[in-house]
Amino acid sequence: METEIRSEAFRKFAEAAAGIMNPELRSWKEEGRGVVGFFCSTVPEELFIAAGLLPFRMRGTGSTSTELSDAYFSPINCSFPRHAFNQALRGEYDFLDGLVCINSCDHVRRIYDNWIRALKTPFVQVMSLPRKVGEPQIDWYTDELKILRGQLEEHFGVRLTDERIREAIQLQNRIRGLQKQLYLLRKAERPPITGAETLAVMVAGTAMPKQRYQELLTELLAELEGRRGSRDYRARLMILGGELDDPAYLEIIEQQGGLIVTDSSCFGSRLMWRPVDEAEPDPIRALARYYVRDRPSCPRMYGDQPRRIAFTREMAREFRVEGIIGERLLFCDQWVVENYMTGLDLEEDGIPFLALDREYVLSGEGQLRTRIQAFLEQLEAREG
Amino acid sequence: MDRDAVKGKSLARYKQERDWFSLLYQATKLLPGEEGRLQEKLLTILLDSKEKVVDCVENEKPFVAGYFCNAPELFHAMDLPWYMLMETPFLAASAPYLLSDIEGAESMGIGTDLCTAIRLPIYYIENGLMPVPTAVLGLLYPCDGAPMLHQVIEHNKAWKNVPIYCCDPPYTSDERAVEYFADELRRMADFLQQHTGKTLDMEKLVKVCEESNRSYALWQEYNELRRSVPCPHGWALGGPQAFAISQCFVAGDPRCTSWFQQLLRCGELRIREGKGASEKEGWKERIRLFWFDIMPYGWIFELMPWLEDEWGAVIVMDMFANFPYTLIDTSSEKTIFHDLAKRNLLDAPMIRQARGTAQNFSSDIRRIVKDYRIDCVIWPGHMGHKDGAATVGIMRETCRELAVPFLHIGLDLFDRRYASPPEVRDKVSQYFSGMGLG
Repeated sequence: METEIRSEAFRKFAEAAAGIMNPELRSWKEEGRGVVGFFCSTVPEELFIAAGLLPFRMRGTGSTSTELSDAYFSPINCSFPRHAFNQALRGEYDFLDGLVCINSCDHVRRIYDNWIRALKTPFVQVMSLPRKVGEPQIDWYTDELKILRGQLEEHFGVRLTDERIREAIQLQNRIRGLQKQLYLLRKAERPPITGAETLAVMVAGTAMPKQRYQELLTELLAELEGRRGSRDYRARLMILGGELDDPAYLEIIEQQGGLIVTDSSCFGSRLMWRPVDEAEPDPIRALARYYVRDRPSCPRMYGDQPRRIAFTREMAREFRVEGIIGERLLFCDQWVVENYMTGLDLEEDGIPFLALDREYVLSGEGQLRTRIQAFLEQLEAREG
Repeated sequence: MDRDAVKGKSLARYKQERDWFSLLYQATKLLPGEEGRLQEKLLTILLDSKEKVVDCVENEKPFVAGYFCNAPELFHAMDLPWYMLMETPFLAASAPYLLSDIEGAESMGIGTDLCTAIRLPIYYIENGLMPVPTAVLGLLYPCDGAPMLHQVIEHNKAWKNVPIYCCDPPYTSDERAVEYFADELRRMADFLQQHTGKTLDMEKLVKVCEESNRSYALWQEYNELRRSVPCPHGWALGGPQAFAISQCFVAGDPRCTSWFQQLLRCGELRIREGKGASEKEGWKERIRLFWFDIMPYGWIFELMPWLEDEWGAVIVMDMFANFPYTLIDTSSEKTIFHDLAKRNLLDAPMIRQARGTAQNFSSDIRRIVKDYRIDCVIWPGHMGHKDGAATVGIMRETCRELAVPFLHIGLDLFDRRYASPPEVRDKVSQYFSGMGLG
């Protein structure tokens, strides 16, 4: 990606975001240590960290076709699982020692079913995440996490004590804190980091050893301190959406002059805006509460739309956002309706909103440019 | 649109549907034979349920808008009339305006790849075409569309203050899941009592459950008849009506049991007489189909009769027709809620297959193919069934193991523009020919 950030830490982040395997991950594997892949940001990474495993958030980065996964999925399925599963069938995920899936959406949840039939990964589990955010659902997910803890202990021969889980929560919270600091820098008139660059940093956080990521992120923050980015943008934008892990997509928007200053996306702020409650005596319950209720939710969580739009409004206000883009992967029934409701709500607020459909692998760049240019013109016309 | 405006507009549409069925009811009276009486009885029950809702809206009596597979025995036992949130596109009465409604939904900016069965109710709610109930009962599966539909309800201004409770079926299917879902149903019953002024009388619930047990037992007995060669009934009678009458319009109602008794008699008689699905002269059952999904209700008459007439292809079983329903143990409140949870979580169509892992897609195909001497399995591939679309490889592999041909069509149950009836017929013809069927 094009960047003016000359730091070594950022270079490592960009490299990790640009592919599946990266040097940090390779070193980890060479040390004989385990890696567990997971789909969806509602799978608690903390349990893997506590088990001494590297949690790797599954992507389809670098995929160019779905020639193998097409035998399992259909053309009306989201291109994200089709590409990610294709990568797996091509052997690019052979480094995984385990995989944990979840019922995040109708497309991604079927990866589990196809994976266990087509691939030989030694440890594959599926979790049941409730769709509501109440106490009974927290109870349910607490039990799910306890079941997963038992499965991890049995398969990997580790003891997942409360103490180890607490330490993992603390580590993840420190990382969340650093990531939030990075975001807060973007409130500035001349943010020291762009939206595309930020996304690369965030994606890298799901693909390398956590301790190492924390060190590198600390380094990057120090380097960005006091740095002034370009003022040469036409509008400050916010991105809403789900599975967006490709900085190039944001790069195209930013090349048109729309600077992404914040987001609510599942590789973005929703990962870290709030920490896990460290004061909760039972760390498993703390995790369940966090993943079911406390973190900013995605549309699959029923009844939470008022909180989601409140979060969007709060972010838009804090980051002085002039326009919001709701991006959605084609065939996603969750985000299409969410964007519909968001559009109505933002219309009442007088905040311009653009809903964009996309494929997982970057395509239709010309069309994207045109739509962004038109949106920016609309924003500029408002300013008069 | 405010609540009063919605009341008038939605009632007008609802009455239009009722009147259409009323006309149909008059027509069925002219149909000959036992099958005609079955259709007549079904329409009587349907009309009665519609009349009750009209009465509730007009006279401000409590009623609910429900979803499918959320234990209607509970609200039936509370004497709460209901309509199903997504019933309209499935009813033949919607035919005159179905396409314009779909276009209306498109013009709202809801993506055309969103399941039409979800898109249409959203359109109806947002355009004041659905009666605003006293309370809403939702279900957060079998697909991603369900929670989104319910969130639109909460978001809509005319519906904003309508209390809503959505049961949250877990993804797993073990005893822990059943217990969790039973608790969800208990909370649903409490919610109904709180918001409708009705009470749940356990004695009444026992009676309703016992009645529903009788209905489901008869249904299962009838399904055994469909194993016969030739199958006594085709697409026009059996599963979908049985599902509608036991889950959508009434539940645990003696009229429903009586309908099943008549259905059973009817099937037995046809088998004794050696009759198959069609009475047409020279007609012969040549292909026994398992239609593993919902039928294309938006244009059903352009496909299903053709299958039987042109190819002698009989839908012996479909997704809504058969999984033996758990009979409720009515010995205690605990067993009732437990078994209602089990029935609605593990047995009821779509929730059973699409809610959890793909295991049931595979095991249902195995069971049905073997039990019903199926010649081929068709997965119609409704554009909204995304989880099923991601299961085609598993279904194909299962069929391959069973040495039974498998066809994935790819259509929209309601929108004929997605895959036109001639296109679908052509695809099916090529498939039958290619497989040497019929």
